[in-house]
Amino acid sequence: MPGRAAAAIGAALCLALLGAGCSVSKGPGSGRKSMVVTYSVLGSVARELAGDKMDVSVMIPDGLDVHEWEPSARDIETLTRADLVVENGLGLEGGMGKALDQARKAGAKFFTASDHIEVRAVGVGEGIPSGDPDQAAGAEDPHLWTSPLAVESIVRALAAQLESDFGIDVSERAKDLEARLARLDAEIAGDVAAVPAANRKLVTGHESLGYFAQRYGFKLVGAVIPSLSTEAESSARDFAALEKLIAAEGVKVVFTELGTPEKTVGALAEEAGVRAVPLATHSMPPDGSYFTFERNLATTIVEALK
Amino acid sequence: MLSFFVSPFAGNAFMVNALVAGVLVSVSCGIVGTFVVLRGLAFMGDALAHGALPGIAVALLLGLPGILGAAAGAAAMVLGIGLITRRSNLGSDTAIGLLFVGMLALGVAIVSRSRSFSGDLVRILFGEILGIKAGEILLQLVATVLIGCAVVLFRRPFLLLCFSPEQAETSGFPARVYHGIMLGLIALTVVVSFKTVGTLLVFGMLLAPAAAAALFSRKVGTMMLAASLLGSLSTYLGLLMSYHLGIAAGASITLSASAVFFVLLAVARVRAAGQGGSGAPEDGSPGEAAEGPGGEEAEHA
Amino acid sequence: MLDPEQGRGLAGGPAVETRGLVVGYGREAVVSGLDVVLGRGRSLALVGANGSGKTTFLKAIAGLIAPLSGSISVLGAPPLAQPARVAYMGQFHPSSFLLPLAVLDIVRMGRFASLGLLGKAGPEDEAAVREAIELMSLGPIAQWPLSALSGGQRQRVFLAQTIARRAELVLLDEPAANMDAASRQGYRRYLQKAAERGVSSVVATHDIDEAMACDQALLLARRVVAYGSAQEVLTADAVSATFGLVGRYSEGKLVVMEAEHGHCGEEGAEDHRHRAIR
Repeated sequence: MPGRAAAAIGAALCLALLGAGCSVSKGPGSGRKSMVVTYSVLGSVARELAGDKMDVSVMIPDGLDVHEWEPSARDIETLTRADLVVENGLGLEGGMGKALDQARKAGAKFFTASDHIEVRAVGVGEGIPSGDPDQAAGAEDPHLWTSPLAVESIVRALAAQLESDFGIDVSERAKDLEARLARLDAEIAGDVAAVPAANRKLVTGHESLGYFAQRYGFKLVGAVIPSLSTEAESSARDFAALEKLIAAEGVKVVFTELGTPEKTVGALAEEAGVRAVPLATHSMPPDGSYFTFERNLATTIVEALK
Repeated sequence: MLSFFVSPFAGNAFMVNALVAGVLVSVSCGIVGTFVVLRGLAFMGDALAHGALPGIAVALLLGLPGILGAAAGAAAMVLGIGLITRRSNLGSDTAIGLLFVGMLALGVAIVSRSRSFSGDLVRILFGEILGIKAGEILLQLVATVLIGCAVVLFRRPFLLLCFSPEQAETSGFPARVYHGIMLGLIALTVVVSFKTVGTLLVFGMLLAPAAAAALFSRKVGTMMLAASLLGSLSTYLGLLMSYHLGIAAGASITLSASAVFFVLLAVARVRAAGQGGSGAPEDGSPGEAAEGPGGEEAEHA
Repeated sequence: MLDPEQGRGLAGGPAVETRGLVVGYGREAVVSGLDVVLGRGRSLALVGANGSGKTTFLKAIAGLIAPLSGSISVLGAPPLAQPARVAYMGQFHPSSFLLPLAVLDIVRMGRFASLGLLGKAGPEDEAAVREAIELMSLGPIAQWPLSALSGGQRQRVFLAQTIARRAELVLLDEPAANMDAASRQGYRRYLQKAAERGVSSVVATHDIDEAMACDQALLLARRVVAYGSAQEVLTADAVSATFGLVGRYSEGKLVVMEAEHGHCGEEGAEDHRHRAIR
């Protein structure tokens, strides 16, 4: 019995491996090139830019934690078969590292957003000195989409790459987007002016508003998870340090986000007498527009701190 | 219909790599797992798998290859167990239990210092078989060949150890030495396999296929072969499930291995019931009824 | 008193020689003052109750435990130095009832001591295995897995494995325990064959009949009660001292009980089964 069973199993395996050897063509040709963007915010911008000339899809479902999400086998397949992969860079997509490597190996072209902006590094004296290498001055911040000016640079660069890699011309759209982004930036700057300088202090779920703060003159006081990623843990020492900072800086509001541990915030609210205000920093509004996203972000912050 | 079984692998290099890596892991685990099952070393195998975690965590934070950390952790675990069982009156079970809970907690604590804690922890515990690279496959191959050679070389003392450590000793094979080598091979298997199925699940791959094989095989050689094949089948089924159902690959593979075991266990029970509860082969002639199992015990004078 | 004839035995020096040997575990001595000389081709019975030191002494000769003091020489060398020439069969085989390995393969493992790691098995090895199987009447169940056997059948397998080793000296710890009458016959057949071939043996037993069949006897009760030729040493008094037994005469024979009952000699004592000792 064991002998025969072994032979049957062996035969089945050979069949499977043989099948794997035969390549299948890369899916039904719709004629258009495929662009896979890793997360929703960048995806919405890419879609506005090139949506009618390419098949644009977003990998990480909107509303799920970008730092932690891991792709399934089918997702990796989609990624490896894309013509262009648009990623954020700087390790934002924590759970996708290996999958992105596979795509690179499979020959997909890559556009890395962080290559085309001025990368912000964690500044000295920012946030909680937890000894975390991530909070050490110099660590690079991946949350580039919170600044419309950064997004403007990205649009310019992406349009250029689409032209050079695929001969796809989106220059009209690009110009339009860039103009609107510049206007958005000016609008926000105006709104922020209404917030007294003493109140321009940010305590967030994790270190996600660095670019926003830098552009519009806010001070980053600290974060519940003292890290550039939600994958990190908050320790008792970090919590105590945050409380002290809140008291020292006279902070009244803590902005919570996707992946912020609720219990910790609740405790903080009680003990430090602060208000918890939810802020959408990684997920899109119902109309799927970056502009709505950014305006909501700015408005929530301004209203809370005025 | 056939495309259901073949399409996940067709044209997806990463799936084929995962399959190859999984098959190699199955072969290592099948060979070594046979001895784990025959010698009742299951708990020890589990302990080694858990000991690997803090080692990997430290290596991660220091930027060293995880494999070195895994090896160090496993070695520390074995030494720790040896120390405790020699110095105190507590039995091995208690010592191992305390050590591996401690090592697990230590590992989690160390990883928590990493900025990608939750992701890292999941990746260490459950593996990243879909992200396997060519270099890692090569390492797996080397380890598998090494393990195979060691087992062929030491098949006699290993067999004796399964039967009785005293017999091994008095046959000229020092029991401690060969027990140590066997533990070393288990550790090697765990250490090299954690990238595919992770430290939590490699234990399942070590145990389930070999335990299933032991239900039907009577020779160690066929047990190892059957375990390897069953493990490979589980790898294939697991990857298939992972693709079509969108669930974690490492867990799917181990789940398949467990399911295969339980199916075969049921088959074995049914077969035994059909033979009157003996489990003996049909080639003993019926005239030897007096030789049935549960035969006469000694007259007590 | 030890007959010098017993000590000499066949040529080649004694099979086992111990001087001032103290055996035990850790720092606790179990038996001391063991001065034993067993000639080649002779047999020695270790007689005593459980815990008397029989197993401890046997393990020391086998090299499984180190002596606390004194010396042991086995076939002219330290214990464990010549595994191919000395076979040991212990009382307990851990987990053997779980092993799915076939009887034949278990017996074959007896050849590993001579074959070593890589030696190729030849016709002599197969012959040794076949003979052992026949002697212990294991032919009909040779393909059965160990886990499917009864305790008595398993004991025959363990003995067959030891027989297959074709050692010059065999050390057996309660070999006939759990055996039925037919198996015991097989065991006695083996002992005869072994004696013919000049195989020396040390057998731990609490069966007086079995002890009587040996050349020498060593009576233990956590001390040496008596040592010498079996015929002389196995007296009623010595056995009493060894087992703490009570004896009484019945129809000219000394009848011995295995333990002090307290109610023997009263009504219904005949219901007990006792072993007769000459």
